[in-house]
Amino acid sequence: MRVTLKSWDPAPIAPEKWFLCLGSEGRGRGPCVGQDKHTHTHTHTHTHMQMSFRATWSLVLKKVGPGMRGMHSPGSAANSEGKMPPYTNYHAQRSYPMPDEPFCTELNAEQRALKEKEKGSWTQLSHAEKVALYRLQFHETFAEMNRRSNEWKTVMGCVFFFFGFTALLIWWQRVYVFPKKPITLTDEWKAQQLQRILDMKGNPVQGLASRWDYEKKEWKK
Amino acid sequence: MAYPFQLGLQDATSPIMEELLHFHDHTLMIVFLISSLVLYIISLMLTTKLTHTSTMDAQEVETVWTILPAIILILIALPSLRILYMMDEINNPSLTVKTMGHQWYWSYEYTDYEDLNFDSYMIPTQELKPGELRLLEVDNRVVLPMEMTIRMLISSEDVLHSWAVPSLGLKTDAIPGRLNQTTLMATRPGLYYGQCSEICGSNHSFMPIVLEMVPLSYFETWSALMV
Repeated sequence: MRVTLKSWDPAPIAPEKWFLCLGSEGRGRGPCVGQDKHTHTHTHTHTHMQMSFRATWSLVLKKVGPGMRGMHSPGSAANSEGKMPPYTNYHAQRSYPMPDEPFCTELNAEQRALKEKEKGSWTQLSHAEKVALYRLQFHETFAEMNRRSNEWKTVMGCVFFFFGFTALLIWWQRVYVFPKKPITLTDEWKAQQLQRILDMKGNPVQGLASRWDYEKKEWKK
Repeated sequence: MAYPFQLGLQDATSPIMEELLHFHDHTLMIVFLISSLVLYIISLMLTTKLTHTSTMDAQEVETVWTILPAIILILIALPSLRILYMMDEINNPSLTVKTMGHQWYWSYEYTDYEDLNFDSYMIPTQELKPGELRLLEVDNRVVLPMEMTIRMLISSEDVLHSWAVPSLGLKTDAIPGRLNQTTLMATRPGLYYGQCSEICGSNHSFMPIVLEMVPLSYFETWSALMV
């Protein structure tokens, strides 16, 4: 079953290409080829941002589709009935690790044979076959699903960039916009002001004058 | 007046302000406790790998976080009301001074014993003498006797103003057509500054109030001179 595009949906742009940290290809549903080539050392370069974007997007799409599907499978894809062609589908979520529907729905002959073998005793399955079955049922292992990403570097980079840009703006403002400072901000005036405040004993209980030693004429240690 | 790097309120010059200082300490402590608890809980939530997606109800915690804030609010309200009523106690003032707010200056009337009226304008920055405070000094200060209860009657001749002196814990709106009363009692001599506290036009920030609290004999000399 090919995923058919609706008229309002031009060539879908993989959403991961919208963001700075590009990942690898988006996985489509349908024939799951090459699954058995995955080994436990394979790592995607998807970012966390992509992961949660896809999860949110798939949720949004499902809600937009005709009626709400049952709440019992929020993590699984919605396109098995061919309702909406989502950009991405089934993405493992840490908060919903085991959806009802398997990742691969279209199985080739070899995979169907494996599913038949699964119905028997599992001790007969080799390690590679167990891994293949896992990959058919689930998209990612827990380790892959929970992997860290480099998104924080992008975020911090943007934050510091905007700090710097703002600093440049403020500097320009100080040079070209702000008026002259009043005379009361010169050191001489501030010293005379302070002396006046100490003479009138302003805030003598716990404030400024309380910290001045009037006998020794210096700040209290 | 305020001083650099000041964190809290100005030192109290009247007994009511002392009460307000302590109340502020009490309430701020509660605020800090609540804020640190909330920050701690937020940090816990942001650093956990656990998820829980099927919460249906949480009766126990809902009860706690309803009852506990109610108790905290009562603990804040009781001291607050105490001070509020303390402000309205009968105190038999020995002097009455009227102040009228204008755009943009205050005028004062001491009419108990003689007919003394004057206006109090801010001194512009260019005319300040060295060491004076910018935007706070006035040409005619409000001279009052210290350690005596004084009745202040506050009103306005045009728009809303507010007569405020923070170190005495005073802030009373000056409303045209209305006479508001507050009680002033300073325990120390000195100069006490305040600023208009209700937006009243372009020079709202430039109509300060300066009280000069002096011993009674000085006050009597001054008022005889001013008339």
